[in-house]
Amino acid sequence: MTAPPREVVDWEHVQAPVGVPLVDLLDRVLATGVVISGDLVIAIADVPLIRLSLHALLASVSERVPAPWADGGPL
Amino acid sequence: MTGTRVDIDPQQAGRDLAALVLTVVELLRQLMERQALRRLDLGDLDDGQEEAIGTTLMMLDRRMDELCAQHGLRREDLNLDLGPLGTLLPDGA
Repeated sequence: MTAPPREVVDWEHVQAPVGVPLVDLLDRVLATGVVISGDLVIAIADVPLIRLSLHALLASVSERVPAPWADGGPL
Repeated sequence: MTGTRVDIDPQQAGRDLAALVLTVVELLRQLMERQALRRLDLGDLDDGQEEAIGTTLMMLDRRMDELCAQHGLRREDLNLDLGPLGTLLPDGA
């Protein structure tokens, strides 16, 4: 039994998720939690000048991701 | 090189800069508001904390109105249209 042919996504006319503001998407990303790790080098004329090395965890505080300080902390 | 003179009205430039800064602030405010709502649903906060979060968010919202009025902006002006990505903030805000 062959699977039904999936229609090809027409990337030319893909619409944005209708009616979902970016802030809601960000909120959901935070709720699930995301890790951003990577290296960034800013260079001029192939001369590397600035290096940014990231290992960032961005997540809502929950029992799974506890806040490092008991109280509200410095910020 | 013919230097075409671009006369930017300083008033407008100032207001646009203020709008950009307030847009970032509004984005963070709404993010925190949604996160606070999630925590309230979680229910692991005591009444004092819930009360404090509620009043703080309310005052923050009022402060945004004052800041927008101060710079001659409407709250809707803070929203950005990101083209195919839709808008940055919900239309109502």
